[in-house]
Amino acid sequence: MDPIIDIPALERFGIETGIFGLMNSKWAWPVAESVHFLGLNLLMCSVGMFDLRMLGVGRGIPIMELHKLVKFGIAGWIMCAITGFLFVMTAPGQYLYNPAFQTKMMLMATAFANMVVFYATTAEALKSTPASELPFTRARLIAFVSLGCWLGVITCGRLITFFRPPYHWCFWCGA
Amino acid sequence: MNSVFAWIEQTPLSVFIREDFYFFFVVLIFHALGMALLVGGGLLIGFRTAGLAKQAPLHKFRGFFPVMWLGLTLAVISGVLLLISYPAKALTNPVFAVKFVCLIAAGLMVREIARRFFPVAAEGRELPPSARWFGLATLVLWIAGVTAGKFLPYTHHVLLVS
Repeated sequence: MDPIIDIPALERFGIETGIFGLMNSKWAWPVAESVHFLGLNLLMCSVGMFDLRMLGVGRGIPIMELHKLVKFGIAGWIMCAITGFLFVMTAPGQYLYNPAFQTKMMLMATAFANMVVFYATTAEALKSTPASELPFTRARLIAFVSLGCWLGVITCGRLITFFRPPYHWCFWCGA
Repeated sequence: MNSVFAWIEQTPLSVFIREDFYFFFVVLIFHALGMALLVGGGLLIGFRTAGLAKQAPLHKFRGFFPVMWLGLTLAVISGVLLLISYPAKALTNPVFAVKFVCLIAAGLMVREIARRFFPVAAEGRELPPSARWFGLATLVLWIAGVTAGKFLPYTHHVLLVS
């Protein structure tokens, strides 16, 4: 019995709420995956491209005007969170003990902390940065961390299905 | 056609992509990252042309084209490798054709937007009302292409190798 994560309880939750049955129906899994990918695409087209803009791509576009599209990224993230919850509750053990999933969650936590730092320290100052100029170093650093995290999230998402022994790279997995 | 696919699947490269410990997943990861950059840029231009973030000058979005070209290059190289590994699985699936028609049409729409509306924006003029439809069609095509791609593993009906 795992003292931290009660897998059987999560499995019972999945079965009792009908998530397990739903996700094992013919088309629910691919539909949920499609929604998950649409969410990721919305995240990339708004937050990802906003990060690239802060890194100097697309100069001439006012940064905070581009920021208006971030709401689509938030909508995309919510789509990913809901479908992701359905995936995990269908097979909790396969996800929660998977080092790729653990890394993905850590990267998301980092992206969120980074976002908090962005709104607390940088968003306001960017309003007065001319659209034609390269933003100041702190903004570029935050953008670099954000973009790195989200591309890492995509990479880890693909790696979750990589059912290969993680001992080649997972230093916290134990022997 | 299946005999051609079967022949491709027995070539050393095809066998290597399928059976190597890491390679297949490395290719899949690059396909996902390439598509993320390509479709991310494509959706961004779609949203702007559809009438959002109006204060952002449309023609300046040309700056995102190199990012989209990088994404396309990654997606095509990895996509060809994936195709070499399972040609029968992909090329006998009508959903694969849907994916391609949608993505090529989406790419052509972005090019058409650049040709029709970038010069208008560069002159500082208001975009014509038709721009909104170009933007919306572009959004729908990118999303349809990615969704079709996501359904490929669930819709194939010919599998000559595991």
